[in-house]
Amino acid sequence: MKKKNVITGILATTLAMTALVGCSSSTSDTSDKGSTSGDKFTLRVGGWSSSPQEQAMLDKQIAGFKEKHPNIDVKFEPVVGDYLQKLQPMIASKTEPDIFYLDANVAPDFMDKGVIEPIDDLVKKHNVNLSDYEDAAVQAFQWNGKTYGLPKDYNTLALFYNKEMFDKAGITAPPKTWDELKTDAAKLTKDGVTGFSISAELPRYQPFLVQAGGSVYTDGKPTLNNPANTTALDFIYKDMMGKDKIAAYPKTLGVDWSGDAFATNKAAMVVEGSWLIPHMAQKAPNTKYGIAELPVKEGGKPSNMIFTVAYALSKNSKHKDDAMDLMAYLTGTEGQKVTVEGGLALPTIKAMGKEYSTKYPEREAFVKGASYAQPFQYGVIGSKLTDAANKAAEAIVLGAQPDGKAALEEAQGKLK
Amino acid sequence: MRTRGDLATGYLFVLPVVVSLAVFLIGPIIYALYISFHHFSFLAPDQATWAGLSNYTKLFHDPRFIRALGNTSLYSLGVVPIQIAIALMLALIVDSKIKGKTLFRVVYFLPTVTSTVAVSVMFMYLFKNDGLVNLFLSKAGIPTFDWFNSLTFALPAVMGMAIWTTVGQFMVIYLAGLQDIPQELYEAAEVDGATPWQRLRFITWPMLKPTTFFILIMSIIGTFQVFDQMYVISKGEGGPQDRTLTVVFYLYRSAFKDFDMGYASAMAFVLFLIILLLTVIQRKFFKEETN
Repeated sequence: MKKKNVITGILATTLAMTALVGCSSSTSDTSDKGSTSGDKFTLRVGGWSSSPQEQAMLDKQIAGFKEKHPNIDVKFEPVVGDYLQKLQPMIASKTEPDIFYLDANVAPDFMDKGVIEPIDDLVKKHNVNLSDYEDAAVQAFQWNGKTYGLPKDYNTLALFYNKEMFDKAGITAPPKTWDELKTDAAKLTKDGVTGFSISAELPRYQPFLVQAGGSVYTDGKPTLNNPANTTALDFIYKDMMGKDKIAAYPKTLGVDWSGDAFATNKAAMVVEGSWLIPHMAQKAPNTKYGIAELPVKEGGKPSNMIFTVAYALSKNSKHKDDAMDLMAYLTGTEGQKVTVEGGLALPTIKAMGKEYSTKYPEREAFVKGASYAQPFQYGVIGSKLTDAANKAAEAIVLGAQPDGKAALEEAQGKLK
Repeated sequence: MRTRGDLATGYLFVLPVVVSLAVFLIGPIIYALYISFHHFSFLAPDQATWAGLSNYTKLFHDPRFIRALGNTSLYSLGVVPIQIAIALMLALIVDSKIKGKTLFRVVYFLPTVTSTVAVSVMFMYLFKNDGLVNLFLSKAGIPTFDWFNSLTFALPAVMGMAIWTTVGQFMVIYLAGLQDIPQELYEAAEVDGATPWQRLRFITWPMLKPTTFFILIMSIIGTFQVFDQMYVISKGEGGPQDRTLTVVFYLYRSAFKDFDMGYASAMAFVLFLIILLLTVIQRKFFKEETN
């Protein structure tokens, strides 16, 4: 009797397993259909869900592509919530979209493990010229001599300053040097306004660090304990924030990011990317503000960061050629025309960058910044390095570490 | 006498549960155990390599894991006793003959059925630097803090929130326990001239022992698995300075941000062993007490 139970149990489980296997194979069958040209088929595009403005832009780009390829249906599948958390199981189970967004900061993990398709051959076949794109943006998606994505747009950092507050404080031009930044911030700090706000994060303070001769990641190794790095951290987080109280990080001002501090008139100057522009239009449409290049350390070289996202091609795509067509269209001149009109981010095609500068002369600081920017990317240790470096700055602000030197030594120690 | 047909029918009835348990619970657990002995990334499951026990030994040399474990233990130590005390007190109140007790029951239970994310967002507004709590404190002349960004107060603030949210659920369980106590015991005690305190101490509390045991275990398991509150409040970072990083939170970060699913799985099994151990100890302890 007992034996029979076991057998029945095994049978039941096997039955269930076969049912499940049957399920999964039947779904892949349907996606197989229509791989030959002529038939109608669907290309899936994966990305994170973003603002309605950005969604409208993508819809427009996709509509443009569909017009030219009536047999291809393009479906955007937005991920609500954590993008990487959703994308990884999809890749593991080989059900990821044909092309999908990939942030430069996490791209090395994907490229190193070879889980996305190298596109060099396809690029040649489809007459895409990589040199048309901003060099730093393309390089962010190259690994061991292969290219893994076409950058769709990018952003750099700039100094946003409130013109009315500047007028009231009698300051005529945005600060060009660290000294000017400090004196201006001191003048602007009054009546509940803090002169300068910057978050305690590597992707905001790195340009300052590099200006002072520092480095974050060199030859595949973290260099947070580079002695030159302490200057910038001490200047911003220890002196301006801690000692002089003429700067504050957004959380002390009761907001989540410095862009919000700027929009709510809690800070007179902030360091952010061009994503702050639509935010200002929505939240503070009457605020008059200017955008300037980041102030540079006396005797230092200007520095900036490039944040870029590419379309990556799935290894498991059944329509790699058509997917390449779509990628080339979305990141090409026609697709990026929409990017320029939308004005949320900068176009990665060099020629379109000129169009952007003519269309928005007041935003040229972002375009100029790109010429001396480093990509926000630190190899496969990117997420750990960013986390450790963010905590280093936060430790100084919260008083957990006395100065930049101690904080950065601790951060470097975490990356062994 | 059972026939073959009966047997088959029986299995057919349990089949859906057996299958769903096997596929969605037992299968993944076994797979996670397998993963925990490998260098495994979800990005490339086929490139997994054997890691032996290295994921497990690495855990105890990882200061971040130690900190996460410390935070979780501290959180549990703070939340569990206060939670049980308040739940019992509330249950006693809403069980007594006060006016409008149905209203109180609803009010205390309401946070339990509210989504954690919504509660967290609400608390973030309350405890903001220029939020309502600080406004009251400053009006009363008490020093204010930037609660969720303070090294000292971030975790206690989350604890307070957790107590507020879950206390209603345990109150209801206690309420059920209270109503199970035979009324004769109280009547007999009254005849013997027992004071209300004596009735509570010698009748209510001992009679509630099984309920307390249940609540204690549920509460400890719940606190050791805490994740969402911290995730929402620290915006997925576990900050400030890892002060709100819990084991499950660190596990999540290792798996999906650092692409190290093997290490994360090892963490999950260590957490499982800790919870198992705590439950066994309590079981033993409570059995001896009741005997």
